[in-house]
Amino acid sequence: MESHQAEHDKNGLVAETFWRTPQRAVPGRPCQRIQQNKVMSGSSYQQFQASVNDAWDLGDDDIISGIAETKISKAISQTAAINVINSHRKSTKNVNNDVKVNEGVKPREEVVAVRKNEIRKIGGVPSGSSGLRHYPGRPRPVKLSALTSREESSESKLERFQQVLESAVLDLNELKQLSWSGIPTKARAVTWRLLAGYLPANAERRAETLERKRADYKHLVRQYYDADREEDTYRQIHIDIPRMSPLVALFQQITVQVMFERILYIWAIRHPASGYVQGINDLVTPFFMVFLQEAAPGKELDNFPLDSLTEEQRDIIEADSFWCLSKFLDSIQDNYIFAQLGIQYKVNQLKELIRRIDLQLHEHLQRHGVDYLQFSFRWMNNLLTREIPLPCTIRLWDTYLAESDGFATFQLYVCAAFLLHWRERLMLEKDFQGLMILLQNVPTQNWSDSNISLLVAEAYRLKFAFADAPNHLHNAGKSDR
Amino acid sequence: MGTREDEYDYLFKVVLIGDSGVGKSSLLSRFTRNEFNLESKSTIGVEFATRSIEVDGKTIKAQIWDTAGQERYRAITSAYYRGAVGALLVYDIAKHLSYENVERWLRELRDHADQNILIMLVGNKSDLRHLRSIPTEEAKAFAEKNGLSFIETSALDSTNVEPAFQNILTEIYRIVSQKQMRDPPEGDVIRPDAEPADVRAAGADAVRRNCCQ
Repeated sequence: MESHQAEHDKNGLVAETFWRTPQRAVPGRPCQRIQQNKVMSGSSYQQFQASVNDAWDLGDDDIISGIAETKISKAISQTAAINVINSHRKSTKNVNNDVKVNEGVKPREEVVAVRKNEIRKIGGVPSGSSGLRHYPGRPRPVKLSALTSREESSESKLERFQQVLESAVLDLNELKQLSWSGIPTKARAVTWRLLAGYLPANAERRAETLERKRADYKHLVRQYYDADREEDTYRQIHIDIPRMSPLVALFQQITVQVMFERILYIWAIRHPASGYVQGINDLVTPFFMVFLQEAAPGKELDNFPLDSLTEEQRDIIEADSFWCLSKFLDSIQDNYIFAQLGIQYKVNQLKELIRRIDLQLHEHLQRHGVDYLQFSFRWMNNLLTREIPLPCTIRLWDTYLAESDGFATFQLYVCAAFLLHWRERLMLEKDFQGLMILLQNVPTQNWSDSNISLLVAEAYRLKFAFADAPNHLHNAGKSDR
Repeated sequence: MGTREDEYDYLFKVVLIGDSGVGKSSLLSRFTRNEFNLESKSTIGVEFATRSIEVDGKTIKAQIWDTAGQERYRAITSAYYRGAVGALLVYDIAKHLSYENVERWLRELRDHADQNILIMLVGNKSDLRHLRSIPTEEAKAFAEKNGLSFIETSALDSTNVEPAFQNILTEIYRIVSQKQMRDPPEGDVIRPDAEPADVRAAGADAVRRNCCQ
């Protein structure tokens, strides 16, 4: 594996020098443009503000990452984790909708001892087999209707959210604990802003922060999008947007497509190490939908005409989607840098994890020549958005955003739980082709929130059992099996 | 392996490469499922599909890897070139840049694929007559000069999609079967590769020979 890696690096260098077009500006180098702006028009406060945007963001992010880097002992974090799980359980006990989840998380699962058979059980019965074979690799059209028609979490849960959200100084931990098992639709938009670190915990600062960040975003649009655009980046985004959700009318509106285009282009320009990578577009969608839902409560969103909102409302959806996306991607930027090393590393971790959890499945895959990269690359690159219906993605992101140490690690366990969910079916497949076609097109079209709740509960259990097991992932990449 | 039924005589791995948005996935879905979506989602990394055809009474199974066109994915996708015996290098007849980049894609293949890989240059979207920016003759001449076979296709109206895959698979079959007659074992048209990204069944091999790994 090390030599494999080395080869990648080597190839990487060759490819990079080869593919770069030297006369063109490197995608996402804004510096020249800023200088041009300075010269171009008379200095103004707005100009000044635009020029220090990044500085402002840096400070902001530093505070957050500073907190994140604080070392917490494993014992403490484990105790905390148990508390979180217990309080989830308590908090959802009275809620009919969530009872299923509690059944999934059995008390004994907190015991670290893990046996293969126990783990598999949660996977449950696979659903809906028809239509699997004839459509390999092509995810089904998104059904947005479930977003609005989905049964709301109980009133009492919403009330508890409101209590937490209305307190003068927000208890972020409490909000995370509440959110981990799913956020009621009515509280979701504001909760996501808080969990993403976009909205400050201090209630007094919120209105002002929102106002400033939304104004900042407008400056960014003027500075980058309305100016000379970096051609390659723009072209790629421009061809990807119309084909994101080709069968959903909402996303075929020019207004919506241009909003996505601006969000992605500006993000790409401001993140030159990665730039725009296909798939990041799918990661805007959940934020967009949640903020749209806030602006158009109770409406059918599949073909909602965006132009029926005021310009201000649209600007808010766009700016907030941009900032939340930016925060969200901060922890997984290495997924999108050259050679996508973050993903390659995680794929190896997944392989090692499955080998340890379910050797039988692992050997089955290996025997038929299925490499983990072949199916889990997309899972990691698109955070499962291509594998599950959009409402499920949104529910999954409730948990991701609520993961206290960032969702990057947790996602690995979600992918492991996701793979194990299909293990019975996979074991029935007798060749490479059957395995790959199933793995590329797992039948999740009938999935709902409860499937996601089970999935994250299982992922949590795996993480609890394996994340602290000595060296359990250190062999990742070295082992050939 | 060897325990399951072999329903084919030859298994050939073929890759689809070319710029983003030229219609690689559409060609694949047209060939393997006879389906076409005007807008299909961008391919992330690599996607797999398969179809079998008959040549000279032999069943040839094509294992086709559809790759993402974006440059960022190249490090990932190029790993899939290994073991491939054929490549469809696709451009869009209405997008000049996608044709200009054909030379880069050839370099990619030279760097990462088997040196004997058969390459077919495919000008897709031939239905867009009024938007054509690459004359057929120009592409044909380029293909000849570079030792590639050439065809224009339309995944939308199905024109030439079947022949494109048929031709390249037949050509591979001829080479492999001749090679086998000349020097049967361990011919190097296709080397099964131990490289992890390469699948066991990836290299073209007479399956009954039961060799790889």
